[in-house]
Amino acid sequence: MARVRIVGHRRRLDATLATLYRLRCVQLVDIGRDSEIRLPPLSIDDARLSELEELKYLKARLNGLLRLIPDVGAAGGVEPATALDIAELTAVLDAAAPEVEALVGRLDELRLEQQTLPRHLDALRRLIPLLPDMAELESYEMSALLIDTRHGEVLGELNDRLTTVLGGNFEIISDRLDSQTIGAVLIYPRHAADRVQDQLGREQVSRVRLPERYESMPFRAALTAMEQRVADLDVEIDKAESAVEDCVRAHPDWPVAQRAVTARLDQLTAIRNLGATPHTFVLSGWMPADRVEELMVELEAAIGDEVVVGIVEGEAGEDAPVLLKNPRPAQPYESFVRLFEVPRYRTIDPSLLMLVFVPLFFGMMLGDVAYGAIIFGGALYLRNRFTAPGFLHDLMRLLVLSGAWSILWGFVYGEFFGDLGQRWFGMEPLWINREEAIVPLLVLSVIVGAAHITLGLVLGTVQAVREKSRTRLGEHAGLLIALVGLFVIVAIAADQVPGALTTPAVAAIVVGLVVLVVAGGPKSPLTGPLVFVGTIGNVLSYLRIGAIGLASVYLARVANELGAAAPLLLGILIAALFHALNLVLGVFSPTIQALRLHYVEFFGKFFEGGGQSFHPFGGDGDSVTDTSSTA
Amino acid sequence: METGLIAIGAALAVGLGALATGIAQSRIGPAGIGAIAEDEELTGKVILLVAIPETLVILGFAVAAMLIILLGD
Repeated sequence: MARVRIVGHRRRLDATLATLYRLRCVQLVDIGRDSEIRLPPLSIDDARLSELEELKYLKARLNGLLRLIPDVGAAGGVEPATALDIAELTAVLDAAAPEVEALVGRLDELRLEQQTLPRHLDALRRLIPLLPDMAELESYEMSALLIDTRHGEVLGELNDRLTTVLGGNFEIISDRLDSQTIGAVLIYPRHAADRVQDQLGREQVSRVRLPERYESMPFRAALTAMEQRVADLDVEIDKAESAVEDCVRAHPDWPVAQRAVTARLDQLTAIRNLGATPHTFVLSGWMPADRVEELMVELEAAIGDEVVVGIVEGEAGEDAPVLLKNPRPAQPYESFVRLFEVPRYRTIDPSLLMLVFVPLFFGMMLGDVAYGAIIFGGALYLRNRFTAPGFLHDLMRLLVLSGAWSILWGFVYGEFFGDLGQRWFGMEPLWINREEAIVPLLVLSVIVGAAHITLGLVLGTVQAVREKSRTRLGEHAGLLIALVGLFVIVAIAADQVPGALTTPAVAAIVVGLVVLVVAGGPKSPLTGPLVFVGTIGNVLSYLRIGAIGLASVYLARVANELGAAAPLLLGILIAALFHALNLVLGVFSPTIQALRLHYVEFFGKFFEGGGQSFHPFGGDGDSVTDTSSTA
Repeated sequence: METGLIAIGAALAVGLGALATGIAQSRIGPAGIGAIAEDEELTGKVILLVAIPETLVILGFAVAAMLIILLGD
């Protein structure tokens, strides 16, 4: 990563920012945080300030319009295809606005009607059985009422009041609609409508009010009309949506304009990061060292010699942004590294190591030819289906490789849907039969763990040497020496190496612990041995590779046993269900456990987080990756 | 009789370890989700914190395996 400063004449500011935005290779640093130069920040002049406000308004309008059509994403950091003419764009939007607003307003009305009509229908349907036929008489009017059962006495009070007012020339028919509501229909002479409404307003009843267009209809006719309307609404909404979409799509230049507006807005906003002299602007930033030449050439071509790029001499410090760069197969694992933490600048990027070990551990845990083939095929299909870069695509690439390793380990263990391969076509394990040889399986898991942890400690030691940190070198090297001594002792106990090595092994443990304690400072006489014991726990943690594999193979066996015990078709169904369950567990569990072994056990030995991702000026794209910061 | 006791001992080793892991994770998990809701960049650290108690059940498994392998013959 190179620290650069770009200095140019103020009249070339816009062109410079546009070029940097297009190249997307420089991360801007606020000039106030550049401790080596003391410059006042560049102020935005009135013309640019006014442009900024106009652009913010335009962007909001364009975002609002383009949200109406589903498949146009938000503006990214892409180079705008056309020059931006704010006045022209404003005029176009002003001209189109009335039509779009009318169409959207109509669509909103229809959606509101679609939401509210079913509620009216529901109330009406429940009240209809209460209506007598005479209610359709011309000289009478009806009001439908809903009363909370807790205030049921209101009906009696209403009856008394109306008897006083109308002298008995009315009818109330009521019934309980549900546990909380009493429905009532009040029939009264049309000429007495005002007096009745006056009385209704005094009581705690809610009158069922139909939408305006149905209010004058008799209830049964209103019910039929509303049911018809609900059925028609879907089609009308579809038509209205199409009309809105067609209207917006008639302006294919709007998405381009949106990108141009966003780009210019970003450039204007970036000005506050720059420093100023009386006639020049000064831009400070980070960029990949291998792109400095390209930047110089591009600026020269676009602007000429009024802008110069200078590289700040000296090694980049810890404040430099981190740019991971790995060979293509290891790139998906960068997501998993970042998920944990961005490595600190100039420390080890473990993506490549994860490419080797995560799928290997996954395969060791699942270890079944059939399961592996299903995961391999499924992940391959999904990887090709979801081609957009992102976490999902990276996960599928991880699973493709993991599926392949599972097939390989399936042959090693002799498993095809558990023991079905042995039952059907006499499949034999190439090395370990997991069902029977539990001890070798667990020993293999621990050996893999020991190797993995040792590798982690070696990397930690290398890292400490590179950083010239004596303390960390002592801690890592001491732990490594003691651990190797312990491994030799274990190997002697298992009759794998000659007993004559006992003394050197014990000496290694003692020396290692002493180095660990001496390097660690005043508290290390207590913490040093604890770290050593913790590291042994880390190695034992790899037993999960064997344990999860055993759980998987026994569940597969249960599926096969149950399937074999039941009648043919039922047996196939039961076995399929259990194998499906095992397969789902077989995707989740090994993935999570393999990642966990890396995050907790492996990374703890060398990984140094706390880095800041590189975010180049020029859009919202993900941070890019680079080896310049890695081992 | 002896085989049964070994089996019960092994089951207790794994079962109690799993129970302890579950109790620990049930406390860490919700707090972690809360932390992620505040700051998505903490995802990795939360995974690490949730994963740490799993060592209990794995060590329980190691003890159970040793009981069965060493005493079960």
